[in-house]
Amino acid sequence: MIILSYLTVGAIALALITLSKSHRTMNAFFILHTLAFLAIGIYVLLTTSIPIFETGSEYFYVDHLSLYEVLIAALLFFLASVYANGYVESLVQAQELHRNNLKIFYMIFSLLLTTVTLAFFSDNLALFWIFAELTTIFSAALVAILSAKENIDAAIKYIFIASGAMLFSFIGLIFLYTLSGEVLGSGTLNWTLLAKNAALLSPKMLTASFVFLFIGFAAKSGIFPFHTWLPDAHSKAPSAVSAILSGVLLNIGIYGILRIYAIVRQTQAEPIVSQFLLGFGLLTVAVAVLNMLLQKNLKMLIAFSSVEHMGILLLGIGIGTPLALFWTLFYILAHSLTKASLFFSAGILHRQYESNLIQDIKDVFSLQPIAGWGFVISSFAIVGMPPFPIFSAKFFILLEAFGLSKSLVFAVLLLLVIASAAFARFLIEAFTQSSKDEGTDGVEALLPYTVRSGMKFPILSIIFMILALGVFFPEPLEKLLNTIVYELGYL
Amino acid sequence: MISSFIANPAFLEDIIRILFVFVLITAAFTLSTRNIASLLTVYAVQSLLMVLIAIFLYMIEGNKTLIAIAALTLVSKVLLIPLFIDLIGEKIKISRDLKFNYLEPTASLIVSMGLILLAYVFLSGFFSELIMSKLFFMGAVIGLSLTLMGMLVIFSRRKVITKAIGYLTMENGVLLFGIFVADLPFIIEILIVIDLMILVLLTTILAIGLDSTIEEYHQRLQTLKIWSGSGD
Repeated sequence: MIILSYLTVGAIALALITLSKSHRTMNAFFILHTLAFLAIGIYVLLTTSIPIFETGSEYFYVDHLSLYEVLIAALLFFLASVYANGYVESLVQAQELHRNNLKIFYMIFSLLLTTVTLAFFSDNLALFWIFAELTTIFSAALVAILSAKENIDAAIKYIFIASGAMLFSFIGLIFLYTLSGEVLGSGTLNWTLLAKNAALLSPKMLTASFVFLFIGFAAKSGIFPFHTWLPDAHSKAPSAVSAILSGVLLNIGIYGILRIYAIVRQTQAEPIVSQFLLGFGLLTVAVAVLNMLLQKNLKMLIAFSSVEHMGILLLGIGIGTPLALFWTLFYILAHSLTKASLFFSAGILHRQYESNLIQDIKDVFSLQPIAGWGFVISSFAIVGMPPFPIFSAKFFILLEAFGLSKSLVFAVLLLLVIASAAFARFLIEAFTQSSKDEGTDGVEALLPYTVRSGMKFPILSIIFMILALGVFFPEPLEKLLNTIVYELGYL
Repeated sequence: MISSFIANPAFLEDIIRILFVFVLITAAFTLSTRNIASLLTVYAVQSLLMVLIAIFLYMIEGNKTLIAIAALTLVSKVLLIPLFIDLIGEKIKISRDLKFNYLEPTASLIVSMGLILLAYVFLSGFFSELIMSKLFFMGAVIGLSLTLMGMLVIFSRRKVITKAIGYLTMENGVLLFGIFVADLPFIIEILIVIDLMILVLLTTILAIGLDSTIEEYHQRLQTLKIWSGSGD
C-alpha cells in the first residue's frame, strides 16, 4: 500500500504538471507533489509498524532507514520546489531557460522525486540499481535543461562517468547473485535475505562483489577517484537542482554503500572492507579540500565541499561501530539541509551578479542581505562550527575513529582545518569587496536583484532547522536513528 | 547431418568459443573505427553475436530465459538502438569521429590486451571458489574484458555518439558476463534495456547540442521538438 500510494501520487502529480499551462500552476502541482510525499512518509512513520515488505513479492521493503532517507529527500524537494517558483521564473526572464522547456523541467523534477523514493524503498538490489540509474539520467537532464554548451558538457560527463561506473556495480550484483545461489540454493538479490544469511557468504567473493558495487555507488556519490563529474554538474546546474543533486542524489550512493556494508559487516570480510572505505574516505576528503583551498568559483566551492562531506560519510561507515553509524546517519540529514541552504543562497547571488566568480561579488550585504547572511551562516554550519549539527556529528564520528587509529583522526582534523580555511578565505575575499573601493568611474553601480517570492523562505527555514537541530536533539529523531542502527544489525 | 552437429554439446561449445573471438574483434573495431556508420554496424553485429551466443547456450542448457534474452536483445540492440542513433547521426550530419583523447587506436589495442589478461587473472583468482565449467569461465572473462574495453572507448573517443556506443559496448559486456555467471530474472533484463534506451535517447539528444554548434542546436531543437513538444 505504501509504495502504491507513492506511485499514485507521483503519477497524478506528473499528469497534472503535464496538463498545466502556466508556470505558476506547474510549480504549485510540484509543491503539492513534494508535500504529499512528505505527508505519506510522516504518516507511515507515525502509524505503521515497519519494517514491512511491500507489494507482496518482496521487491520493495520499507524500513526505518529507507523511510528516513525518503523523508530527507521529500523535505529537500519541498524546499527546492518552493525556491524554484521564483528562481526558475528569473531564469526564464534572463533567457537562460526557454519558456517552452518549463514543462519538461517540472516533469523531470517530479519524475526524479518519484524515482528517488522508489530507489530507497527497493529491497531487490537490482531494482535499486535500476532506479539509481534512472535518477542519474533524470538529474542529468535537469543539468542540461539550460542548454548552454557548458551545461550539456557537464551533463554528458555526469551520465557517462556515473552510468559507466554503475555498470561495474551490476557486475558486482551478478557476483552477489551467484554467491547467494551457492549458499541458499537459488540466487537472490533481496537485501533482507542477503543480510539474514550474510554469515554464510564466502568472505573472499563478498569482498570482490563489494569492490565492484563500490565503484558504481562511489561514482554516484562523488567519491574519489570517480568524483570528477561532480563539481561540473553541481556548479553548472540551476541552483534549485544543485541543492537536490548535493542534498539528495549523493545520498543514494552512500545509502547503497551502507546497505552493502551492513551485509559485509557480518562476515570476515569486514576488516579489509573497512580499511578500504577508510582509505577512500580519507583520499576523498584530501582531494576535495585541496581543490577548495584556492577556489575562485562560489558554486564550485560548495560542490567540492560536497565531495569532502561524502568522504567523511564514508569514514563514518568504515569505522563500523554502532555509535559511528548513528552519527553518520545524523550527518546525512545535517549535510543535506546545510548544503541546500548554501546552494539556495548561491542561486540568489548568481542572479544578482550573473556570475559565480569571486571577483564579481561586491556589496553583498547591502544588495542581498538574506542570501549574504544565509551563505555566511550556512558556511559556518558546513565547516562544522558549534552549535550547528555537523559539529556534533563530526565530533562523535572522529571520537569513534580515535579508537581505531589516532593518525587517521589527526589527518582528518588537519584536512578539516584546511576546508574551514577555504571557506573563510572565500568569504573574506568575496564578501568584503565593495564597489566603492574601486572608485565609481567607469563602473556602473549594481541594482539590487529583486528576490522573488518563495526564494527566501527555504533559506530561512533551513537556518532555523539546523540551529534547532544543533542545540536540541529531538527525542523522536534519536529514537528513529537508534532503530535504524538496530535494524541494520549493528546492535 | 546438421542436426547431429547441433545436438552435440561439444560442437556447440566450440561455436560459442569462436563467437567469443568475434566479440573481441568487434570491440577492437569500436576502439579504432573513425566512421560513425561503421561503428554502428559494428555495434549491431556485436549485439547479434550476443543473440547467437544466447541461442547456442540455450541449446546446451535449455534455460528458457536465454531465448527471451536473445529476442529482447535482437529487438532492442540489433534493431532499435542502432536505427535511432543512425537517425540522430544523420540529423547532426557528423559522419566521422576523428580525434582521440589520451590514447590512439594502436595504444588502445595494446591496453585492451592488458585488460583482457587482467580480467583473466582477476577472475581466476576468485572463481576457484565457484564450481564452473571452462566455457562459462571464458564467457565471464570475455564479458568483463568487453566491459573494460567499452570503458576505454568512453575514455578515448571524443564525440558523444561514439561515447554512447562505448557505453553500449560496456553494457553488452555486462550482459555476456550475466549470461555466463548467473541466471538473473528476466524482468531485470527488461528493466536494464529500458534504462539503456532512455540513456541513449538522452545522450544522443544532448549530442545534437554538443557535436554541432549551439545556434544550430536551438534551431534543431525547434524542428525536432523533442524538448519542448510545441516549438515557438
